[in-house]
Amino acid sequence: MLKGLLLLVVMQAMGALLQALWLPILPAPVIGLLLLLALLVLLGRIPDWLEQASAALLGYLPLMLAIPATGIVLGGDVLLAQLPAIGAGLVVSLVLCIPLCGVLMQRLMAGQRDDD
Amino acid sequence: MMTDALLQVAHAPLTAIALTLAAFVFALWLYRRTGWLVLQPVLITMLLIIAGIRLLQLDYAAYRDAVVPIAWLLGPTTVALAVPLYRNLRRIRDNLWPVLATLLVGGSAIVVITLLSAWLLGADLPVLMTLATKSVTMPIAMPLAEQLGGLAALAAVLVMLTGVLGTVLVPPLLQLAGVIHPAARGMAYGMNAHAVGTARALEEGDECAAFAALAMGALGVLTALMLPAAVLGWRLITA
Repeated sequence: MLKGLLLLVVMQAMGALLQALWLPILPAPVIGLLLLLALLVLLGRIPDWLEQASAALLGYLPLMLAIPATGIVLGGDVLLAQLPAIGAGLVVSLVLCIPLCGVLMQRLMAGQRDDD
Repeated sequence: MMTDALLQVAHAPLTAIALTLAAFVFALWLYRRTGWLVLQPVLITMLLIIAGIRLLQLDYAAYRDAVVPIAWLLGPTTVALAVPLYRNLRRIRDNLWPVLATLLVGGSAIVVITLLSAWLLGADLPVLMTLATKSVTMPIAMPLAEQLGGLAALAAVLVMLTGVLGTVLVPPLLQLAGVIHPAARGMAYGMNAHAVGTARALEEGDECAAFAALAMGALGVLTALMLPAAVLGWRLITA
């Protein structure tokens, strides 16, 4: 468990280092995610201790997300002031893109079968 | 005397942590008890914490300082998303081209259509930069929005709204479009409604859920890589 947490923190720290050096546009945890993914691909399997640590942490993800989300008390005015634009952005993209993603994937998979 | 002591304890860092944990425990209980997708634990926890802060008249900045021992774990937890993503990589290999093409075309369409409709209705730049991340899973969306000049807290709320609304809209829209393959349905869930959609996809079956989880993780990583590059390119062109 602690070994897993240590690896995750080290990956994030390396992500922060890479961000500071070359990748100012990517968030450090996302770089850490990519580094860990590359490491797992090289390793070819998920070690037990990493599996345990990540499962434990991911179970509490809603808790960790809720804390920064409370920042909306400071930015709530923006949401209300531009509600029509934000609402349109959300609804229009969902109504168009849900069928698009589904149909595209279904067609492409059918096409692949035909080629074989 | 008594009220002084009470006030002191109420404003101690420990109270902020207790409030946060209590809000989460209750939100989880409520979600499991009712099974309603609208009662997302993140949403309920957030609302309860805000209510608690108002009720106890805590200073917001002091609250955030006090809960750092919990909040810092978000970073390592975001890194931990690599584990479920790796587990689903095998499925990408079996369907490499359909998955990649759907991610690229669908993912770009989501961002472009969202920005276009919001821009037409007069959204300003910080809101647009925040909206661009709305289909991405929250731990990636929040730092990404901030990095792009958007608002992290607003991103959290928009991601939540998208997840809940998207999950409600997927079944009728896919039926209308005649999408029945579980993998295709899973992609639609994961790309449009991230974690909330993935939870719903689990009810449709294993294959649907695996593709939803895959789509969510891959779209998150892909957006985190391509959106900053696109914004940078846009600035170079317009500068």
